[in-house]
Amino acid sequence: MTLPTDQHTEGKKNVTFRVFRFNPQVDSKPYFDDYTIPVEKGITVLRSLNYIKEHIDGSVSFRAFCQAGICGSCGMRVNGLSQLACTTQVWDVLAKSREPGIIKVEPLRNLPLIKDLIVDMDPLVDKMKRYSNWVDSTMPEAEMGKKEFLISEEEFLRYDKATDCILCASCVSECSILRANKEYVSPAVLLKSYRMSVDSRDSLHEQRLAELVKDHGVWDCTHCYRCQESCVKSIPIMDAIHGIREDAIESRGMKDTSGSKHAEAFMMDIEKKGKLVEATLPIRTNGVVWTMQNLLPMALKMIMKRRTPPPPPLVKSAKGIKIFRQMFREMTEHVKQDHKSHQ
Amino acid sequence: MKPFDIVIVGGGGAGLYAAMEAMKTNPALNIAVLSKVYPNRSHTSAAQGGANAALANKAKDDTVEMHIFDTIKGSDYLADQDAVDVLCSEAPKIIRELENIGTPWSRMEDNTIAQRPFGGAGRPRCCYCSDKTGHTILQTLYEQCLKKGVKFFNEYFALNLSVSGSRSNGLIAMNMKSGKVEAFPAKTVILATGGYAKMYWNRSSNAAGNTGDGQAIAYRAGIPMKDMEFVQFHPTGLRKSGLLVTEGARGEGGYLLNKDGERFMARYAPEKMELGPRDLVSRSLETEILQGRGFDSPAGKYLHLDLTHLGADLIKSRLPQIREMSMNFEGVDPIEEPIPVRPTAHYSMGGIDTDNQTRTVMEGVYAAGECACVSVHGANRLGGNSLLDILVFGRIAGRTAAEEAGKFTPNTISEAELTEQLQEIRGGMHAAGHYERYGELREELGQTLALNVGIFREASLLQKGIADIAELKERFKKVRIFDTSDVFNTNLMQVLELKNMLDLAETVAAGAYARQESRGSHTRIDFPVRDDANWHKHTMATLVKGKVTLGEKPVTMGRYELQERTY
Ligand SMILES: Cc1cc2nc3c(=O)[nH]c(=O)nc-3n(C[C@H](O)[C@H](O)[C@H](O)COP(=O)(O)OP(=O)(O)OC[C@H]3O[C@@H](n4cnc5c(N)ncnc54)[C@H](O)[C@@H]3O)c2cc1C
Ligand code: SF4
Ligand code: SF4
Ligand code: FES
Repeated sequence: MTLPTDQHTEGKKNVTFRVFRFNPQVDSKPYFDDYTIPVEKGITVLRSLNYIKEHIDGSVSFRAFCQAGICGSCGMRVNGLSQLACTTQVWDVLAKSREPGIIKVEPLRNLPLIKDLIVDMDPLVDKMKRYSNWVDSTMPEAEMGKKEFLISEEEFLRYDKATDCILCASCVSECSILRANKEYVSPAVLLKSYRMSVDSRDSLHEQRLAELVKDHGVWDCTHCYRCQESCVKSIPIMDAIHGIREDAIESRGMKDTSGSKHAEAFMMDIEKKGKLVEATLPIRTNGVVWTMQNLLPMALKMIMKRRTPPPPPLVKSAKGIKIFRQMFREMTEHVKQDHKSHQ
Repeated sequence: MKPFDIVIVGGGGAGLYAAMEAMKTNPALNIAVLSKVYPNRSHTSAAQGGANAALANKAKDDTVEMHIFDTIKGSDYLADQDAVDVLCSEAPKIIRELENIGTPWSRMEDNTIAQRPFGGAGRPRCCYCSDKTGHTILQTLYEQCLKKGVKFFNEYFALNLSVSGSRSNGLIAMNMKSGKVEAFPAKTVILATGGYAKMYWNRSSNAAGNTGDGQAIAYRAGIPMKDMEFVQFHPTGLRKSGLLVTEGARGEGGYLLNKDGERFMARYAPEKMELGPRDLVSRSLETEILQGRGFDSPAGKYLHLDLTHLGADLIKSRLPQIREMSMNFEGVDPIEEPIPVRPTAHYSMGGIDTDNQTRTVMEGVYAAGECACVSVHGANRLGGNSLLDILVFGRIAGRTAAEEAGKFTPNTISEAELTEQLQEIRGGMHAAGHYERYGELREELGQTLALNVGIFREASLLQKGIADIAELKERFKKVRIFDTSDVFNTNLMQVLELKNMLDLAETVAAGAYARQESRGSHTRIDFPVRDDANWHKHTMATLVKGKVTLGEKPVTMGRYELQERTY
């Protein structure tokens, strides 16, 4: 399915969109369809897909609504990276394309596939419910509407950025833990949980936190930064994750929910599913040294520094999981002892 | 199947507030919210500016009465004054209520909700959260509905009401995930499906799905549409997509230029220049284009919004959103080049006729939000009043339906009726002889509306528009649906939306043709002045035997007498 190439004028480029196709009613497995269309400067991936749908193949299925980067409907993977189709410029993608003139479009990962580029968002909504992603107001219903809570600019700034989240699930798609464990809370849900917990109007703090420190909760995060790097609204998601961990240690203590206890669980995970987790471990992208410095003693660092370290530089593959395990054990011990001596 | 007490169609601000309030009024009720997109995706999220309420946090002397006056004047005296009273009196309470349940409003120095000035308001009373007010309100309402355990039917597309005589038995909808047509028998139905300004297609700031589905559903069921001819245009939409470049760009000192490089606003508003009222600036841009002083492009004629003289620093620090939009959607960096713009259809004042309790003429059917016309906006809505409208009347709808559900015993919706619906939407659509492309029809609809039922209207243009719509409706009968599958058939959904737009476009054009005066957003070149003697009344469009039939309804006065609207 190719448009005549003579349309290749100066302001236009012929671009091939390699689109992931899957219709559960007829296809036993997914495949790709190529559509080549002329695209001028200033056209987004979404507009191109609309063009393909309207003029070439009406069955190509994807979600889109606002077309302005605010509703979060059009999350998909463009040349491997999860982003919003409606804010992504075709020419920008082309400039970075590994295969010249080709743009690969695939559905988000880590959510069940429905059809073509459409995935099921329900699991994310279920998690929002599980982790009480709402403010449970300290004000009784009968009193509402009568007066305002007084809220300082300082408090407002604590959750301002987090409320930018449009639930597009790009971060969910990029999360390394979710690939291995679909039960994992998810970066966007951690972000929302944090936003609720720092809101002084909310009364659910303890209950939400108790859920967050359980299995599949905040301690499973490997600190790989991929969610933050892919967030379409540039939200510092890691601040929220640190915030929750810090909060957990502070208000629940080391014994109950300690980083070390969870670090141990995490360690067991590594031992159990060595290969699987090795693929997702932060050392792969961040290097052993960074991982040792940041991930393991994080609980302590957080208490002392109370801020998020800048995203780590990318380092090629780790020396090996063996050294990592060894150092991991040692560091965990350190953390435990350090903490005891602080008490 | 036991009927629902309330079925709410729409998960935007109006629908979610209705759900929340209905649960509060009577937690024992069985309530469902249907939405064709996940509720948090609804178009309410696009509202940046804010919502008006006379909280008097910023201007201590602001009062509800002043808000009422501004709204009535802004409406060019076409709003029903008792409805405006409800809107403005409830405003402070509802904004505080939203605050109480977690909406992250921006704050003043004294830690109260922040307010800023907005067009047409005598005092700074627009409450906001940065430039994401609608988004944060919608998120908050969605979170609260999840908390209350509201039953959501997400990605269900409402097709029609099931009607027996003068009352409804509930709703018929298509489950997008399975393609099945399902019955939602219900004692009451609340329509909250948003606006219809997307019928102007590429010349609209609205989301792709603001296709007036709820209005079309009500219209087909015989419920009258009120004041459909009133569509608000915003002066600066992006050329290719119609997306909005907010007033901020002109507020910071941006120039509007024609192809001769002339700051043409000097001709129309020599004092205020680019900062004149929305409708005046829209008309000025349109005049420049009509008189041949616009730029040409395949996407149509346009003008320049020039920010280059403001400098990179100011643009980066004060207008980052606008810069991002312009780069994302036009490929133009406003630091280096002017932004291509033209007026864009932005808001639909008209809609389903309701009383102040959101009841329609059909028993058990209510409507709220942009899809309804109470009317609080009359011929022109003020910025910041529509978010308020959806909240206030969404809440009233939830409460009224909850209180009245017990009165009704709907008939069952028969299998036969469902089969008939399925047949209607899918029968023959893939068949040979169906060759019309919905994309083309949709674009042509937008074009004829923008040209003939747009900012400037005139008898001959409107006749052309009416004829074009009729022809498009004929061609629609031969429309082809290329996707043959049941699962998530967005092709089918878009065709159904197009049908709704075509049905409603007829009422917009008919109302515009009938109304022989200029009032608010409705400008007739052939009748350039407001004519209170003959036209101080609402138009009512009803579907009778397949044809749009116009009636009228008096405007409720009582507070302020008619005056000339000058600023
Ligand atoms: C760019 C922009 C900026 C704006 N800024 C402001 C502002 O600053 N201040 C202000 O007051 N107003 C503003 N407005 C107007 C305001 O945002 C809208 O009027 C308001 O949000 C409409 O809310 P609603 O609940 O009526 O409908 P929507 O939010 O549009 O929700 C409609 C709902 O109905 C559902 N639906 C529709 N059809 C069907 C169907 N067939 N089946 C099932 N479900 C269906 C949709 O899924 C959606 O959930 C702005 C509008 C735009 C376009
Ligand atoms: S940092 Fe944590 S939440 Fe973010 S992608 Fe990595 S594992 Fe997932
Ligand atoms: S955190 Fe960012 S990437 Fe993740 S859902 Fe929210 S907006 Fe999207
Ligand atoms: S379509 Fe709404 S974010 Fe892309």
